[in-house]
Amino acid sequence: MKLTAARTQRCSWALLLVVLAAWELASRGSGVSALVLPAPSAVMKSLWMGLSTGYLWPHIGVTTLELVLGLCAGCLIGFVSGVAMAESALLQRVLKPYVVISQVIPKLALAPLFIVWFGFGMTPTVVITALICFFPLMENTVTSLQQVDPQRLELFRMLGATRRQTLLRLKLPSALPVILAGLRVAVVLALVGAVVGEFIGASQGLGALIIASQGMMDTPLMFAVLVVIAALGLLLYQITHAVEKRLLMPYTRIS
Amino acid sequence: MSFLDIDKVGFTYPGWPPVVRGVEWRIAQGEFHCLVGRSGCGKTTLLKLAAGLLHPDTGSIRLQGQEVVAPGPQLGFVFQSPTLLEWHRVIDNVLLPVSLQHKPSAQEIDKGQLLLALLGLSDHARHYPRQLSGGQQSRVALARALILEPALLLLDEPFAALDAITRAELQDDLLQMCRLRRTTVLFVTHDIAEAVYLGDTVAVMDRGRIVQDIRVEVGKPRSAAMRYGAAFNLHCAQVRDAMDMATA
Repeated sequence: MKLTAARTQRCSWALLLVVLAAWELASRGSGVSALVLPAPSAVMKSLWMGLSTGYLWPHIGVTTLELVLGLCAGCLIGFVSGVAMAESALLQRVLKPYVVISQVIPKLALAPLFIVWFGFGMTPTVVITALICFFPLMENTVTSLQQVDPQRLELFRMLGATRRQTLLRLKLPSALPVILAGLRVAVVLALVGAVVGEFIGASQGLGALIIASQGMMDTPLMFAVLVVIAALGLLLYQITHAVEKRLLMPYTRIS
Repeated sequence: MSFLDIDKVGFTYPGWPPVVRGVEWRIAQGEFHCLVGRSGCGKTTLLKLAAGLLHPDTGSIRLQGQEVVAPGPQLGFVFQSPTLLEWHRVIDNVLLPVSLQHKPSAQEIDKGQLLLALLGLSDHARHYPRQLSGGQQSRVALARALILEPALLLLDEPFAALDAITRAELQDDLLQMCRLRRTTVLFVTHDIAEAVYLGDTVAVMDRGRIVQDIRVEVGKPRSAAMRYGAAFNLHCAQVRDAMDMATA
């Protein structure tokens, strides 16, 4: 049997249904408390309630906003400092140790400090998300800008290109695929940063809601929030993937 | 006075033995010179010196009486690989030397299209380099080198990665383009037959020196049939002997 794209997709969906059905049967038959493992039907009911009454939407909105703000700030700073460090060997030597130190400290360990500095609310989460997104962007930008084909650099020298032209018209376009790969990593990490940041210092947002549902012993709600987080991550990933595919079209199209 | 005048040129990469040693070489206007030699004999370095990408430690290089200090629009260069920018369409790749100076005018765009047409690529102007075959990419690289109508064209084994038939087609295209414009050419290769087919003169290089300069007395314009003629093979043997002698 040949596995076409449509067929493998159907297999994926079938697997999901089988797992859900088994889960439903197990949680009904085994007598495990709904507090430990709620049945999928209970989770869906909780999710539906949350969405239809409008209870979940403000939390989704807050997390999305934090995520987008943190992602934009982190990626922008990561990209700009990556370019600066790739273009200036001096800057790279001076800054590299600090950048590495800032990355080996677990960002989440800084959360309590950020709460002291920025108070409860969105700001500490945005800062943490930005810090997490910063590194993959910076690292990929530096690496890819320094790996430009030497013959192409010679070509630009031959053609009398200025340093600015070489950066804008050769190095950045050559580096684009690797920079976008960094963005894809950053997007996934951003969601982790936002949710976990909310665990610690927020009263709004999906992460805060998970903590709240734990307190209320509302496990179906907790699962419902996890489903929302997964959907949000999937959506963001797909958007990034689509942007990447569109931008890299000339690099990949071969027919 | 010759067109390109390489005078007692020596060059050493720091920490290595000399790569180019006391090279004397003169090229007259409109001539096609080939440079053959084994890998690592310094021929690419000599080409880069002629282009102004490197500066000689000793001696001097003059183009039309002017010392070569930096690359400029008077030079066209074709690299070992096509080095096209895959994010630009073919026509924009051809116009790259222009667009780095200013926005290409309608006239210049027409010139690019004409060059592509001469090389049989009219239909591919709007395509991206990845959509082209290896031979077509090499043609685009040639068109890019010719867009500014350079007086001197430098080529560094540009067809080495192509199959024999495509390479022969490109050799004929190159000869035709250069004859039309009376371009002076310096062509580096390690393929003896290619050097003899293309060149008015074939210089043999070994360990940083030019050991022999062989005049090719085969009729012009060259045609595919000549590749199997006696005169052609005689010259190939002569170049081969020169290379063997140098090594011995």
